[in-house]
Amino acid sequence: MSSLIIETSGLRKVFRTRKGELRVAVQNLDLAVPAGGVHGFLGPNGSGKTTTIRMLLGLAQPSAGTMRLFGEPVPDQLPQMISRVGAVVESPKFSPNFSGRLNLELLARAIGAPKTRVDAAIETVNLTGRDNDRYRSYSLGMKQRLAIAATLLKDPALLILDEPTNGLDPAGIREIRETIRTLGASGVTVLLSSHILAEVQQVCTAATIIGNGRLLASGQVDDLLGTDSVHRVVVADRARALEVLTRAGLTATVAGDALRVEADDAALITRTMADAGLWLSELTPLRPDLETFFLDLTADERLGATS
Amino acid sequence: MMGLVRLARVELSRLLHRRAIVVLLAACVVIPLLIGVAQAIDTRPASDEDIAFAQRQLDADLANGNYERELRRCIKNPGNWGLASNLAEGDLAAACKEMVEPQLDWYLWQPQLDLAEQRDEGTGVAAAMVLAMLLMIVGTTFAGHDWASGSLSNQVLFEPRRARVWLVKAAVVVATAFTTACVVLTGFWLALNALASSRDVPHGGELLRSCLAMGLRASLIAAIAALLGFAFTMLFRSTVATLGIVFGVALVGGTLLAVFGFDANWNPALNVLAVIGDGFSYEAEIACPPGNGDGWCYEQRTISLAQGLSYVGAVAVAVSALSLAVFRRRDIA
Repeated sequence: MSSLIIETSGLRKVFRTRKGELRVAVQNLDLAVPAGGVHGFLGPNGSGKTTTIRMLLGLAQPSAGTMRLFGEPVPDQLPQMISRVGAVVESPKFSPNFSGRLNLELLARAIGAPKTRVDAAIETVNLTGRDNDRYRSYSLGMKQRLAIAATLLKDPALLILDEPTNGLDPAGIREIRETIRTLGASGVTVLLSSHILAEVQQVCTAATIIGNGRLLASGQVDDLLGTDSVHRVVVADRARALEVLTRAGLTATVAGDALRVEADDAALITRTMADAGLWLSELTPLRPDLETFFLDLTADERLGATS
Repeated sequence: MMGLVRLARVELSRLLHRRAIVVLLAACVVIPLLIGVAQAIDTRPASDEDIAFAQRQLDADLANGNYERELRRCIKNPGNWGLASNLAEGDLAAACKEMVEPQLDWYLWQPQLDLAEQRDEGTGVAAAMVLAMLLMIVGTTFAGHDWASGSLSNQVLFEPRRARVWLVKAAVVVATAFTTACVVLTGFWLALNALASSRDVPHGGELLRSCLAMGLRASLIAAIAALLGFAFTMLFRSTVATLGIVFGVALVGGTLLAVFGFDANWNPALNVLAVIGDGFSYEAEIACPPGNGDGWCYEQRTISLAQGLSYVGAVAVAVSALSLAVFRRRDIA
């Protein structure tokens, strides 16, 4: 069996619009999500993230390409593995006149899950006390929590979460983030599609970025962002420090009230400065964040979308 | 097999937890009940009070002179009353008196309960048609709600075998519709039969059996109507679209077919009536045969039960197959 939990090859989806025009939502996407951990799935609006997820879950038919979950081809083998896959796709979708509990019970009974799992799921997402209220009376955050509870009914090995923190308040976002992190650490593979890049960077160990339905980058988050080779250096005598660093062969520039110094090893900076009798009051690695990386990577896509 | 039974139970729960469906099923009981009660009232035997009231009206009409005037006119012009003018004087007077003299029965016009008439063209047919319509809406709203709320996508995430989802939902709709119609119509006929028995008019035996058989056939039509409502809605993903099409076909389908030159035996409504009534006779307009003039003549034709069943069954199978095939391929939002 492949060590990849999700694998797509040459995946393509073409829609026909109401006007009869063809629109390519996903084109030749090769996606590889290894087992374990939390894998971010990023892309601008309309980049094909949700369409890809819907194809993986059998909600949409691919126009071309192959997909595998747990090494097995889908959608052919989806019925055999659906009990191991929990998913929240776009907004939560339940019967509005049923209570949250009844909605969960019906889904649980469909897969033969015991009633105790409904109780546990409700408790996990903090809906106890409101579970017998009608779904239509729930806030967006509660609906989102109910959708996450539905994914937990299956005791999944793979969780696919499409914008799971949409509509949640800060406390709710934090709870869900913790839940995702815990699940990832417990061996569940989580594919997290989100626009909140800071959240992805906090939670994900790896990420895939797509734009216009194409793969733009994929890998471990650390690898994607690169090494910490640029540092912010604060020192009292900036002019002398600049001269010393330059003489030592390092690239240094003045940046406001500090220096911006490029060095693979931060110890080289401290040693050079100490040898010259200069004492640092701050040395901070300037690591590019995921947001900057993402915006740089998808600049063309966003320009295309707005032009 | 266990999985199918489990899924069927889930779908049955989903169906019976829908408030709109519960209201429709309640209407399936209440409306035929009201139809039956109205029939019982319409055909109730005259009470002493009714007879006394009728007698007072009769006496008043006999006293006001109109009767004598009519009698004189009849004797003067018997042809206007359809009587032969060459009758003997005494016979003519007696015949005219019989024609125009008010009778107590005239003021007590109340039909007698007739199970055979109710079965063939009365309240039995009305109850059957009402049930078919209501249960068709049950099938429609069941599927329509799944699409409108988006909950179908969630269901497919738990059971991705779409053919299984479609078939189980359809089976639940059909079983619910058939059971409901069967129970209601059996109750309807048993109640009318009991009423007929209490009034000492024809009842029981072969007559009751034929009424119950009609109820069974009408239940089949109700189940097919529910299936069609479900299948169309799974196809169009809209309750409104389905109701528009089904009622459109029911209202103008026959007329449109006639305009395009199809014989009345293609009319959906007549085929439904043929199933319910164990055959349906109608008059077809045909060119007169040679020697019978140049115009149009009428010919009695019959749609048999088998023909009606074939027609309705073929429509149900075709619509269901199309709906299932599209659902299996369709992207679900």
